[in-house]
Amino acid sequence: MSAGPHADPSGDVCITCGDRALPLRVVAPGAEPGLARCADPEGREEEVEVALLAPVAVGERLLVHAGTAIARLGEER
Amino acid sequence: MRYVEEFRDPELGRALAARILSLVEPGRRRKLMEVCGGHTHVIYRYAIDELLPDEVEMVHGPGCPVCVIPMGRVDDGIAIAAREEVVLACFGDMMRVPGSERSLQEAKAAGADVRVVYSPLDALRIARAEPEREVVFFAIGFETTAPSTALTLKRARAEGLTNFSCFCNHVLIEPPLRALLSSPDLEIDGFVGPGHVATIVGARAFDFVAAEYRRPLVVSGFEPLDVLQSVEMAMLQLAEGRCEVENQYGRVVAPDGNPAALAAMAEVFEPRETFEWRGLGEIERSALRLSGAYADLDAERRFELPGARVADPVECQCGEVLKGAIKPWECRVFGTACTPERAIGTCMVSPEGACAAYYNYGRLSRQEQPA
Repeated sequence: MSAGPHADPSGDVCITCGDRALPLRVVAPGAEPGLARCADPEGREEEVEVALLAPVAVGERLLVHAGTAIARLGEER
Repeated sequence: MRYVEEFRDPELGRALAARILSLVEPGRRRKLMEVCGGHTHVIYRYAIDELLPDEVEMVHGPGCPVCVIPMGRVDDGIAIAAREEVVLACFGDMMRVPGSERSLQEAKAAGADVRVVYSPLDALRIARAEPEREVVFFAIGFETTAPSTALTLKRARAEGLTNFSCFCNHVLIEPPLRALLSSPDLEIDGFVGPGHVATIVGARAFDFVAAEYRRPLVVSGFEPLDVLQSVEMAMLQLAEGRCEVENQYGRVVAPDGNPAALAAMAEVFEPRETFEWRGLGEIERSALRLSGAYADLDAERRFELPGARVADPVECQCGEVLKGAIKPWECRVFGTACTPERAIGTCMVSPEGACAAYYNYGRLSRQEQPA
């Protein structure tokens, strides 16, 4: 299985619908244009498509679904 | 993880449940449909339905993309996967969806090269790494997922990849909602709207529900308190005789959605004249195919497909479950012939399917309740 680190390990929820959208933080530019390295609170990283929100800055929190950032998130309170 | 915990605080949940109870009119039953399978899952995982008063009934809508895919399309995907040169890449949930004869998982066991991916971009990476193989991405999902597929196809085009294509099964949220709302026997008083589809299409895209069909809709987030608050907002509208589209998920959803995502979809896709939905039948302009500009990346044009329309098994009542006409446990094969391990119907396959959600979280207590 070539699932990324944020694929649901329990198989408990479906990744094709909304509730697998994950809050991740941008930590570095990606290897290709339109991609960024993003990490979850535990520090697990993956490369995310960010073209829909470009430009994104290191430190921003994004909502990521199926490998693509679909919305910006505010800061944790 | 303070952020998440705040949205799962049991005390706040009980306070919201008390407010909902205060909005109930004695003896008047209200049915609210949660459109999205993600919400169905949250409702059963956190037992939100048990917090609600008897007068508020949650009805599960058609918003799980795995649950609505017709058998004939699964058969088409299996026919593609059976080709010697093909790697079929799909989301994990598609693997167990039954086709007329077998599932993708069974096709894989029989030798087909079917691989589970987490994103369309992962499928593209396989095509890059294995240029001698034909890689086909089995695309499913509503507007939440379609932009991701669109961006990957744009990337494939820019790179000039010739061994990558897309078997497109993306669907749209508005046409099935209109089909449900136009049904003469509809008994839905209001809606908990799909928050992440709205991230793309915008909260305003649901205005037609209130304006044309006179039902309140509250766009909702996916934490337990989000869903409870959305139910409270919908109940308040009903109690006050209002009928509006409200946005409970304003921390993420903008009124007009994500314009870049909508532009990418408009470039890469075009509406199909009609598409078959499991349980709902053919619905006009309810699904997407690749646009003319991307026709060379369309697996339906690259490969010959059976394209047969396959009737659901007679014992399966997914259609009635998807329309909210019956509860999962009222289906004649629920939990007996049809289980998550060996599903007859799609609603039992995806963890977001209403039947699987009931089976996994609430089967024993609910089966004993009167229908």
